[in-house]
Amino acid sequence: MSYLDLDHLNKAFDGAIAVNNLSLHVEKGEFVSLLGPSGCGKTTTLRMIAGFETPDSGSIHLAGEEITSVPPNRRGMGMVFQSYALFPNMTAWGNVAFGLRVAQKSQKDIKQRVNQLLDLVGLSNAGHKYTNELSGGQQQRVALARALAIEPRVLLLDEPLSALDAVVRVSLRHEIRRIQTALGITTIYVTHDQEEALSISDRVVVMRQAMIEQVGTPEEIYTQPDTHFVATFVGTSNQFPGILKDARSGLVTSVNGDWQISIPPIMDDHMQNGDALIVIVRPEEIRVSQAEIVIEEDNVITAVLETITLLGPVTRLSLSLPGQLIIADIKTVDRGRFVCGTSVQLSFPRRACRVMPGGDITNGDDN
Amino acid sequence: MAAMNKRTAVPGFAIGCFLFYMLLPIVATYAFSVATRWDRSILPEGLTLDWYKAAFTDQWFIIVFKNSLVLSISTVIASILLIVPTAYWVHLRVPKARPLLDLISTLPFAIPGVVLALGLIRLYARPPLMLARTPVMLVAAYVIFTMPFMYRPVANSLEAVNIRVLTEAAQSLGASWGRTLRQIILPNILPGILSGGLLVFATIFGEFTIATFLVGARYKTFPMQLVYFTRRDGRIASAYSVISFTIAWTTSLVILWIAAWGAKRTSGGGKHPTKGHTTGVVGD
Repeated sequence: MSYLDLDHLNKAFDGAIAVNNLSLHVEKGEFVSLLGPSGCGKTTTLRMIAGFETPDSGSIHLAGEEITSVPPNRRGMGMVFQSYALFPNMTAWGNVAFGLRVAQKSQKDIKQRVNQLLDLVGLSNAGHKYTNELSGGQQQRVALARALAIEPRVLLLDEPLSALDAVVRVSLRHEIRRIQTALGITTIYVTHDQEEALSISDRVVVMRQAMIEQVGTPEEIYTQPDTHFVATFVGTSNQFPGILKDARSGLVTSVNGDWQISIPPIMDDHMQNGDALIVIVRPEEIRVSQAEIVIEEDNVITAVLETITLLGPVTRLSLSLPGQLIIADIKTVDRGRFVCGTSVQLSFPRRACRVMPGGDITNGDDN
Repeated sequence: MAAMNKRTAVPGFAIGCFLFYMLLPIVATYAFSVATRWDRSILPEGLTLDWYKAAFTDQWFIIVFKNSLVLSISTVIASILLIVPTAYWVHLRVPKARPLLDLISTLPFAIPGVVLALGLIRLYARPPLMLARTPVMLVAAYVIFTMPFMYRPVANSLEAVNIRVLTEAAQSLGASWGRTLRQIILPNILPGILSGGLLVFATIFGEFTIATFLVGARYKTFPMQLVYFTRRDGRIASAYSVISFTIAWTTSLVILWIAAWGAKRTSGGGKHPTKGHTTGVVGD
């Protein structure tokens, strides 16, 4: 039994299934992100943990105690909302003190704790300010301090950075992680931003259509996606739809024979020769070289360079193969070597290839 | 230049007509209340305060003034107690029922006062509720009659402050329902409650039709005495009207001042998220 156990949770709203047989086990002090497109059930799951929604079936245990039907005000969960949800009739100080006053702490304790928390979130000088005098980032810091003030058993964050601009978002997410590590507080973090989930979490739970698609460390999620959805939703992926010619040697060809790709040998029986499959390769795994250079690599494919897009430290090349577009990320310092409209060679090792069954393929952004 | 003048002249004329239309009866009432005689000449023949003296020294003045005050304040309190928690609960828990509540709250506009009064008499004139022709029943009828005035500003305030997420935030911090309502919801919708209270108070203080039908002479109100004087001496009736206006306007100013003070207090001097919303409702 873990610290927080969700077992077979189900929830439907007016017949539409929001969460379908979801089970998740979170250890004490762990930082777990629920990642998925909107409508995947991640927020409903968080709201069931908080007690704002009651599951139709299934159970929630916290530290061995069943809390499935305990009202939210007796769960001891600190919650941070996307819209900040600060009390406009109170100062920043008053907001942070609210939960402590409810818990009937002494004036001395309240003062000490509020000052300590405002200091922790870097707002020790803004305690006297009302919410409308604070920037979005500052408001969310106050909301974080307010949730932490009650020393919650679990900290719940519902897309806390979505309403903020890019720079504040990145700095605040590092700060959330720093504070979480310092306090060792068990945290559930809901986001639709894969970069955020990968950079901040101990484990990521990828959700899709009310179910868990994959649970793993950020590295596992990125480098070893279990499903086609995870591969396409988390990060950018190239997809080569083909047919398995030889499972033992790992040979795949395209449907019309334009290219062939070597993949790691398939040792088990879950795929047979002749099966349709998709080979997935990350853009940063693909090397691009001029057509005349001789390359020794597992896979070499000729393509036409269509566009060059500067993204900062990397430059994204868009390349066309018959019937499909491939993208490759190269270092920006190397981009001068390429000209649009010319033929180039793509190369990548067989270990860079992930193989998914090619049957029921749905797009990543299914909402 | 000419075009410019034309552009400003048209709206200026329209505003002038509007002000003339709105203010003339009030100015005339004020003038009539201090005129010695004004039925044989274009302008009043002379000025006097005798009609005010007559109004204030009338044996019924204190009684009807007190009665109307009691009715107005009771109605304000009853409608706050009934409508604020209902509106809060519907906004929070059954948002789907909001259009229904919006509809119900505007129904009193559609029902004439006479019909409402007769209906209530029929309903309450038999056991177990033997309330017909009592001031308690009048307050009950007034709560229904003024429901739109209380519900609309309160509903607008509730919508402006995202009540659901504030309630959830308070609950996640351990607060009970009572505490959440008292310390989070009420302070944030106070301007709406005050606006509603003001409208209800001003409406009830000057209400005549329902009061006459429901209780009549058993519980005489300020407007009943005003109407009585219109049949005896229009100048004393004018003095009564001026007193009635003055009370309504003073109440408005005091409550608006309280609302502004409340908004300033809750938002630390800055713009309060609900302020613009609720004061905007006063006019509709």
